[in-house]
Amino acid sequence: MFVGWDIKLPGFEYKLGEKNVAIGLSRKWDAREAGREVARLTLKELSRPPKCFLLFATIHYVDNGGLDELLNGVWDVLPEGTPLIGGTVPGFINNFGCFTRGATAMAVSHSDVDVAVGCGHNTKRNPRKAVEKSTTMLRNEFASSEYVNKFMLNFVSGPQLLSIPGIGYKKVITSGIISSVIRSVFNVSHLLFQKGIGREDEILEQAVKSLPDYHMILGTSMDDYKGIRNFQFINTEVVTNSLVNLGISTDMMIDVKTTHGMKKTELNFDITKLSRNRHFIHSINNKPAIKELSRLLNWPEDFVSDKTLFNTILYYPISFHYNGREVPVVMPAVFKDSIMAPCMIDDGEVSILTVDGKSLISSFKECLQKLDITHPEFGLFSTCVTIMQTLGYKINVFREEIIRYLGGKPFIMFFSAGEGSYSPKKNLTYANMSFNSAIFGYGRGN
Amino acid sequence: MGYIYKDVVDKYSIGDGTKMRDDPIATVLDDLLKLDDILACMVARQNMISVMPTAGTDGFKTEIHEIWDIIHRAMDDVFNVIREYSQTGLAEMEFRLQDYEVLFYVFHETDNALVSIIPALSNKGLIEVEMENARREIQNILNEQEKEKLEIV
Repeated sequence: MFVGWDIKLPGFEYKLGEKNVAIGLSRKWDAREAGREVARLTLKELSRPPKCFLLFATIHYVDNGGLDELLNGVWDVLPEGTPLIGGTVPGFINNFGCFTRGATAMAVSHSDVDVAVGCGHNTKRNPRKAVEKSTTMLRNEFASSEYVNKFMLNFVSGPQLLSIPGIGYKKVITSGIISSVIRSVFNVSHLLFQKGIGREDEILEQAVKSLPDYHMILGTSMDDYKGIRNFQFINTEVVTNSLVNLGISTDMMIDVKTTHGMKKTELNFDITKLSRNRHFIHSINNKPAIKELSRLLNWPEDFVSDKTLFNTILYYPISFHYNGREVPVVMPAVFKDSIMAPCMIDDGEVSILTVDGKSLISSFKECLQKLDITHPEFGLFSTCVTIMQTLGYKINVFREEIIRYLGGKPFIMFFSAGEGSYSPKKNLTYANMSFNSAIFGYGRGN
Repeated sequence: MGYIYKDVVDKYSIGDGTKMRDDPIATVLDDLLKLDDILACMVARQNMISVMPTAGTDGFKTEIHEIWDIIHRAMDDVFNVIREYSQTGLAEMEFRLQDYEVLFYVFHETDNALVSIIPALSNKGLIEVEMENARREIQNILNEQEKEKLEIV
């Protein structure tokens, strides 16, 4: 919980402004300077010292001083003991613009808000244990909170490719032998090396079981979409393979929503052979998976490769099912004839979806229109990095829509690989290529 | 907008590593060039590179030097199209040559563009965001320079 406030290094004092929530930005290359700048610019707007600090940064700081120095810079300014979480992301959007290099932060100092942070480690090895540890921290912190509405941001270490000797980091493996080896060491890779998928779908499910009365959004920590390394922040530490949670307990109203622009095509198929761990689709319609998928989509054989992956398979997500829920996701990797799903799925009939820029933008507008709060105070959004890959700088349209909706109030939208949301009324959604909004404010519309 | 470059055009040369000093546009290009996937960048128009990063072509990533001449010639041909259609709303162009892509971000209603060379397999979406930021920043600098000139007059 929040602890006192004192003036920090000379040159970094700030005069308190008038806001209860503020955001900041730094585009400096040097990690320490960027940390100081993002903290100073965020805090100078606040009407009182911060109760929490949410920090996102791109991976560039690893090679420009180090993330420890980024945090050191933040702590040169931030009052000691302020709860802090965050991590590396491939990009973010805030009131100032759209960026794939830099650092951004949000600080909250509302008088009618209690804040807590939690952390669990070894998310790829044991997601359940990581969630239990983190949610217990939040539950304990909020035991004495008098506020009714609860929110939790789940920010999880995202997928990390395994480097294959002689091949490197590849998402499409054509060798049958190597594919076979990778599939067989998939589970071991998570246990021993903590490389592989993020298991963020399992984390969200477990989080909901632990705290079913919380509103939640989920996002994953990444590098610059290479999928090689990612880092998370918890207070003064830089960690890896971790879940970090920001909890907010408040009398403000909270609404969360997930939308995506994916549309069903007329193409369906049956998953006829699924791996035991529910991640590898070996055959569809009783035929080798990638060959049959290519046939259904009228693609030449061998069309899907590392070179074409971004322009082919990522634009044909699949509407899978898991535990009775629809799970629309993209397929991030191909191993000879098998296709990998980024989350656990069930076998049976599924649909091929399609997505384009126009439907993504419409979907996001729809997301904002259906949110239930008439006087928003601030917003937090997670969305898929594939959307940035699709739209490039045209993601600015999201920024314009959010500014219009929030009336200029502070927000951060960060990019992820695997996202979702949950509310007690709307239940759990996990998806790729989706928009996940959490809005805090006053007044219910519907 | 093209007339802004009259003062800049003959001031610097290319290919011999002449340094661009104290040019705010060069500073923007320096920032862009620090990104791993930006192999080279410049502000250019047909037959002319108006502004280079501070270190000139010496600052380009080494892998681009082998192919620079042919890309430079191809760029000039692309600028034919930009010159023809920039006044009617042409905003971006790009082409792929061997293992590289060249991106042209045209300045509004001019025949000048921010040009970058990137590897063909790079994460273009992320690069495009920073290209657009650089274009906007350079556009602001140019607008300020134009305003200052008008004030002097």
